[in-house]
Amino acid sequence: MADVAIQVDRLYKSYQLGRVDLHVLRGVTFHVAAGEFAAVVGASGSGKSTMLHLAGLLDRPDRGQIRLLGQDAASLSSGARNRMRCRDIGFVFQFYHLLPELNVLQNVLLPARVDAPSMGWLSRRRAVKKRAREILDRLGLDDRLMHRPTELSGGERQRVALARAMINRPKILLADEPTGNLDSKAGKGILDLLRELNRRSGQTTLMVTHDLSLAEQADRILHLSDGRIV
Amino acid sequence: MYKLFLCLRYLRSRLIAYFAVLGVAVCVFMVLVSVSVMNGFLHKIEQAAKGLFGDIVIESAGLTGLGYYDEFTRQVARQVPEVEAASPFIITFGLLRVPATDYRQAVQIAGIRLPERAGVTDFEDGLHFQEGLSEPTFDPPVALLQDRLRAEAEHTERIRRSEMQQLKPGKAPSALRAKRLNRLETARLFQLQAAEILRQAADYQDRMRRLQARLDAARLQAGGQDSKTVDELLIELEKLTEQAAIQPPEYRIILGLGISGLSFRTEAGQTVRYIVPGHKVVLSLVPLGQRLSMTDISPNTATFTVVDDCRTDVSSIDSEIVYLPFETLQRLNNMSAEYDADDPKVQIAPARCGQIHIKVAPEHAQDKSLEAVCRKVEAAWQEFHRRRPQAAGGDVSVQTWRQRQAKIIAPIEQQRTLVAIMFGIISTVAVVLIFVIFYMIVMQKTRDIGVMKAIGASAGGVAGIFLAYGAAVGLIGSILGCVGGYFFVRNINPIRDAMERWFGFGGGFTKEFLLFEKLPNEVKPLTALIIMAGAVLAGVLGAVIPAVKAAKMQAVEALRYE
Repeated sequence: MADVAIQVDRLYKSYQLGRVDLHVLRGVTFHVAAGEFAAVVGASGSGKSTMLHLAGLLDRPDRGQIRLLGQDAASLSSGARNRMRCRDIGFVFQFYHLLPELNVLQNVLLPARVDAPSMGWLSRRRAVKKRAREILDRLGLDDRLMHRPTELSGGERQRVALARAMINRPKILLADEPTGNLDSKAGKGILDLLRELNRRSGQTTLMVTHDLSLAEQADRILHLSDGRIV
Repeated sequence: MYKLFLCLRYLRSRLIAYFAVLGVAVCVFMVLVSVSVMNGFLHKIEQAAKGLFGDIVIESAGLTGLGYYDEFTRQVARQVPEVEAASPFIITFGLLRVPATDYRQAVQIAGIRLPERAGVTDFEDGLHFQEGLSEPTFDPPVALLQDRLRAEAEHTERIRRSEMQQLKPGKAPSALRAKRLNRLETARLFQLQAAEILRQAADYQDRMRRLQARLDAARLQAGGQDSKTVDELLIELEKLTEQAAIQPPEYRIILGLGISGLSFRTEAGQTVRYIVPGHKVVLSLVPLGQRLSMTDISPNTATFTVVDDCRTDVSSIDSEIVYLPFETLQRLNNMSAEYDADDPKVQIAPARCGQIHIKVAPEHAQDKSLEAVCRKVEAAWQEFHRRRPQAAGGDVSVQTWRQRQAKIIAPIEQQRTLVAIMFGIISTVAVVLIFVIFYMIVMQKTRDIGVMKAIGASAGGVAGIFLAYGAAVGLIGSILGCVGGYFFVRNINPIRDAMERWFGFGGGFTKEFLLFEKLPNEVKPLTALIIMAGAVLAGVLGAVIPAVKAAKMQAVEALRYE
């Protein structure tokens, strides 16, 4: 099991909508091996994003177990969960979620700033900036460093979000409909990047999408339907 | 580090934060200006009280007074090493008149010893015609008075000319301007008249000096024997003294600057004097110092030559008190020593004063230390009184100047506190403003908060961003308010003048009626620091609820927020 990066076991999650309990996940079980590129496909509302948020420690399940990199998520303190989100998990969201006040470079550096202890940032700043420039260079954004998110195209924004997810060299990359808001060309570009990053750096990648043609690029496809992996 | 980074980013990029900064700045400005001005008024009143009483006041209850005061002042200086100087003082009531006019005014009459008093209080600082003299006196050189009076006349003339320049040619002056010009003309004539009296006085003084020299020589020649020459010269000198344009030194007076009708203030706050050195005034007072019944009270009256005027900057003192030589007032108030009618060598009662004012060394003149010295002086008095029971008939109080003036100072202190509280309450507006603005910012930033949490920021870290943001808004606002308030207070007088010039409104402070030459314009660094600290605290307080809300936000919900 040491080679399993994400282990999800009988996961349940429901939300209350007024007086109605909405059971989104009903015993989801799957695993993603270390270095694997897995895609979860399912119709809209099938619980894909909920499952990804739980796997990324952004939310807590009602029942079931999540093990990330061999650690039981339930046993982690909230500080340890924060640290894990910061260092071991990178997120890419459908709507990019870049901070509008920051330029491209500052957005990419943000997780490294969060990770640094109060005074530690000053000593590691130079090295981290160099790494951020390298990543952005690799993603074709070297001439956009000082631009604000509003000055970028959708594809460029998503590449910045991807660079932000990569800055702390996470072992796991979680992508929630990363191409959902892009045209097909830009979408393909992002997917190619995800694929390449997965191959070159051996990151475990879990992507959720409703588009089967995109999911087919993954090593393995998991189908989520009615709150279960089928 | 990311907290500070994001806080500064938000501060720079959110226009609405500038409104919060502005709100804090306005509140800090208001509180600083009001507290500084009130502090200034209080300081002036305190200085005036100190100037009038010295550091410690010994006072007898009722009108019986304190006897053997010189003996006691010598003793207290020996017994209490902190005591630097002491001087007797009398205060009573009387009627002031200006001869050849129908002017009369009720006044308080203070009997003081000069220059001894300068060692006890800062009396000399308020003198106008003896300004700069280290030892004030009731007998200043006539030449000096002439010089200063010349300057005074020039000052009056300058004001008159500037008023004349404003007249429009070919047009009759307004009734108000005509009245002002009339007053200035009268003052000019009065001052010219005084200058002439001083000129004559200088002349007489010269003749009297020569006569005195001849008298001294004749006395020396007579060798203590009766001499016709000496007698003749004496009579001549007395005659000259009578004719002299100014009264002898024991009949000189210093007026409080502000006694109604003796001077006036222009709209621009310049003082113009009618009665100046050289003029004579008449004082009548009921002698209150003697044991007498109501039926046999008859007033004592004497004529005095004005030698100066004095200002403490506090209207209640300056508009009411005139100062006479101590021994003269003692005599007029029937407080001199009483002797047996049958045997004039037997003293029945000692000469008395109303109060003894004591000056304490500056290092012991602060509140607690001064109270300790005050207790020592009280002990010294009790011991003295045991030895000399005749020194006082009734109760004697020994108080610090603050205790003595508590009735005046305490209400002003309370007013200052009240103003600070009122403005403090108004300043809660700043807290509410920051709260509302931050709440808005937190709502706008919901998704960003989700992102921050997704990349590992803790709840405390997210709260820290907004608390630091609030503190920064408070700090920047308070620095701006403080700098603005400082410059406003420092320039409050020119600002007041400009307001009056432009709008005819001087912020409720009309120089013509109040005796403060200027509004207080000092800012105490400690006051500014406390107000700034309060503003930063207000900023943090206003940000607390939004910060807690941001910290409690669930990352998933925040990311989904539209």
